[in-house]
This record gives sequence, C-alpha cells and structure tokens, in this order.
Amino acid sequence: MSPSLSRWLWHAVAIALLTVLGGALYLASKRIDYTWRWERIPQYLISTEGDDQTAPFDGFVAVSEDGKQLSMTALRGAETVQFTGFSTIVAGNGDLVFEGDVIAKTDAVSAGPLLVGLWLTLKISALSLVFALLLGLIVGLGRVSKNPAARDLAAFYVEVIRGTPLLVQIFIVYFFIGTVLQLSAFAAGVVALAVFTGAYVAEIVRAGIEAVPKGQTEAAQSVGLSGVQIMRYVILPQATRRILPPLAGQSINLIKDSSLVSVMALTDLTKAGREVVSSTFSPFEVWFVVALMYLLLTGVLSVAVRRLEKRYAVQG
Amino acid sequence: MTQTTMNDAGTVLIEAREIEKRYPNGVLGLKCASLSVRAGEVVVIVGPSGSGKSTLLRTFNGLESITGGEIVVDGHVLHQRSADLRALRQRVGMVFQQFNLFPHLTVLENLCLAPVKVLKLSAAQADERARALLAKVGLSNKSDCYPAQLSGGQQQRVAIARALAMQPAVILFDEPTSALDPEMVGEVLEVMKQLAIEGMTMCVVTHEMGFARAVADRVIFMDAGEILCEDAPDAFFGAPKHERLQSFLRQVL
Repeated sequence: MSPSLSRWLWHAVAIALLTVLGGALYLASKRIDYTWRWERIPQYLISTEGDDQTAPFDGFVAVSEDGKQLSMTALRGAETVQFTGFSTIVAGNGDLVFEGDVIAKTDAVSAGPLLVGLWLTLKISALSLVFALLLGLIVGLGRVSKNPAARDLAAFYVEVIRGTPLLVQIFIVYFFIGTVLQLSAFAAGVVALAVFTGAYVAEIVRAGIEAVPKGQTEAAQSVGLSGVQIMRYVILPQATRRILPPLAGQSINLIKDSSLVSVMALTDLTKAGREVVSSTFSPFEVWFVVALMYLLLTGVLSVAVRRLEKRYAVQG
Repeated sequence: MTQTTMNDAGTVLIEAREIEKRYPNGVLGLKCASLSVRAGEVVVIVGPSGSGKSTLLRTFNGLESITGGEIVVDGHVLHQRSADLRALRQRVGMVFQQFNLFPHLTVLENLCLAPVKVLKLSAAQADERARALLAKVGLSNKSDCYPAQLSGGQQQRVAIARALAMQPAVILFDEPTSALDPEMVGEVLEVMKQLAIEGMTMCVVTHEMGFARAVADRVIFMDAGEILCEDAPDAFFGAPKHERLQSFLRQVL
C-alpha cells in the first residue's frame, strides 16, 4: 500500500470512530426521554422581534382592506394619525384603543441574547488580552531583571496568581477590589482576567527570553550596546518567535476562562446561555450551541496566530 | 611583523597585572596572570583545553569578571567592580567561537546595529562603512542574506566585519576557527592575517599553530590558569623552554 493511501485510510478510520461516538451519543439521548427542540434556538441568536407601535391617544383604529394602511381617529375631536413602517397589525379595524395600547409591531432584525453574549465575551477577552500582554511583558522582564527587588516582586505576583483559582480571584476582585475602587462589573472582569492571564504570559515571556542563547547577549555586549538596547534590538525580537505559539494557547485559554466572569453581573456568552436555558427548558441544544460559539472564537484566533507565526518564522 | 598605522606602535593597549579569577565554588580559573599587549601587536594564546585561555581573553572586555588584580585596557581600568564597561567595549572588539551573529538581522543589519545605536552614526554612514568592510572580508554579495544562509566560514568573516565596524583599538579572537569545518578554516585565517598585516592589534586564542607561527609577534602558553611562558614564535616553537610546553607541542604538532 502506498504511504499516502494508508494515510487517507487512517483519516477515514478517525472519521468513522467519531461518527460511531456521535451515533452512540444520539442513541443515549433517545433513551432519556428528551425532546429535542432545535427550532427554538435560532430566535435566541437573531431576534426578529421589533419595537411596538402604541396608540398616542384614545381612539378608534382604522385598517384598510388590503391591510397596508393603518390610521387612528381620536375618540374626542377630529385628530387623526397615520402609522408607517409597521410589519404586523395587532389591532382590528374599528377597535377602540386607549393611549399606550400596542396596535402594531415593526419588523426589526437584531442580535439575540446569545449573540449579545458572544459580543461581550469577545470584548472582555480582547481587552483583557491587551492588558495581560502588557502586564506579562513587564513582569516577564522583571523576572529576568538584574535587580533583586524587581525579581522578587515579579516572582511573588506569579506565584500568588498561579497558586489560586481564577474563580476565587474573580470573587476577590469583584467583591473586594471592585467595591473599594468602585469598579463596574465589566471593569472588574477585565482586571481579574488580565491579572490572571498576565502571570502566565510573564512565565512565557521569561522562558522565551531565557531560551535565547547566552552568546547573543555577549555578542551584543561586546559591541557596546546598553542593557536596554540589547533587550530591544537583540533579545526580544528573537524571543518573540519562541513566545508566539505558547502565547496563542494562553489567549485561547483566556477566552475560555472568560466564561467564569458570568458569576458577576455580566451577561457574557455563558450567562446568556444560562438565561436562554431557563426560558426555553432546552439545556442540551443551548449548551451545544454555546460550545460551538466558543469554538468559533478560539478557532479563528488559532488560525490567525498560525498565520502570524509563519510570517515571523523568516530566518534562523 | 609590520607594525604600522591605526595605533601608535608601542603604546600598551592591554595591561593585565596579576589577575585572579576565583569561581564561587572556590576553583581558581586564573592564577596571577600578567600580560601586556602593545598597539599593533598580534599576541596568540595557546594551551590545552580548560587551561583558562578563553577566560583570560574574556576578562579583557569584562565578559568575565575578575576577583583579584587589575586590568587596564586602552586607559579604562577594570577592577573587581568595574564602572563603565560600555565605553570600554566600544574600543575592544570580540570574535566568538560560535560567531554569535544576530540571526534575525541581515548581514548588513548585523554590521550597522552597533554603529548606529552606540556610535550614533547616520544610517547612510553606517551603511557605507558596513559595505566597505564586507568588501574587505570578501562578502559584498551577501549583504542582504541572513546568517543562517551563510556557511560557517562566511559567518565568521561577517562576525569579524561586525567587530571592525566599531573601529576598535584591539580585537579579541576566542577560538575563531574551532567551530568551523576544516575547509573553511583557511578563509577566516586569511582575513585575520590581512588584519595583522594592516597593523590591527589582536589577541588570539587558537589551536592553529601554523597561524601562531606565521602571524604572531608573541605566543603565550597557558596551563591550569597560569601563564607559563611567552616567547617570539620562532623560539616558542623551535626551542620551547618550559617542560610542559614541550609535551604540549609534542601532542599538537
């Protein structure tokens, strides 16, 4: 058998095994008396429910025969009003309505709660990532600094953050620091995620810097470059290439960890999922969709980083 | 050897007085080593591996600290705790066994980095200087290559050009041909010979006895962290005085 044919065969084996697994899950779900209602999900992704048009005063509704004209005449007086831009008429011809009653609905496509949650997850992850990278770079440089105070502080930060659970840190930031500094839930979420991820980024940065051969520093020293210049022009450019792959992994972790901010009053993708579950009573479908949406975010990120890696991997 | 140009022949550029290097674990790397190098001189240091040759060389630009004695390099005094190493290092070039070119920069950028950032030359001036030096080491056509695209011999010639770009008073060579394939040793030694002829002050740690004999003004023999003897090459190789040098030469020649 040719090597390429046998490779395709093994790919087919993998797909077959996955199919068997999926089938087993399907059969298992059949046995537990669960009614799948996938048709309920789309409305929570994209909502078509628009604004209400209400009666501005008490009066009678007039609907034309083709249903395209809607107007109202006041109960007292000769005031009339024409309605436009509606899609469905709720009131009937000749109905007596009072001020504030809904008589028509406008058609408006808007993001459903799940998409709104996805957007918040994206926003909080992106913002936290920016701060985490900055913090991680500074602390990582502190870890390899010649100054003992900088080294101690950086090591203390990394040990404390890596030694405590993120959920506990989120509670501390939200309830303690958030209260003291009057942070909004969103700001507290960004702070908690950035501080947590920063510690891991710092270790990645430190490892990347230490992986650059010592001869590079010596060569840079022997042409008279200063410590800062050596770091900026010689060490960091070489470290970046080594740092990128683990950094991508850490960014993906950040997106996933961001689901924990749902314990604060933040409606991220996970919290939105929980809310939709409680209104649809379809937990299986909702959580599968939520998982898929997270996968979409992390997948896009990992493709983007792979591109970046290729561009950075020029020489040496 | 011709001793002309570049420096006033005869001025002492490197003066090492009884330097001692004791490692934190108590081992003595250098024992009471004294050595002086005058401008325009080519001093070659030989000896068995682990004898402290490279360590001695690396103390001259502060890459290796010392625990005793004193080194004066081009007017800069180096004690145990030296102050301005940067100013000193601008005057002392170094060529490493592993070349240590900056892999993320092109050949030209390798040569221009320090002149622009340290000597504050304009990009055009540094560029011009770098291209002239590349021509000198015979690598004009490689200016836009990355180090990984060059052979070992070519990389080492670039490294020499990088040291020269700072226009140093002295260049230290730390086993410059030890990491090279045999057929590339010649091209690097040829460049070094040319430098010596032009009057460059050089301090060379090497195992190339042929180079030492042909180019050196003085050859120094080290063993176990000590300088055991120094002599002009003819006497050094022709009539070795020290017993340990005799056995060393028997092994390497």
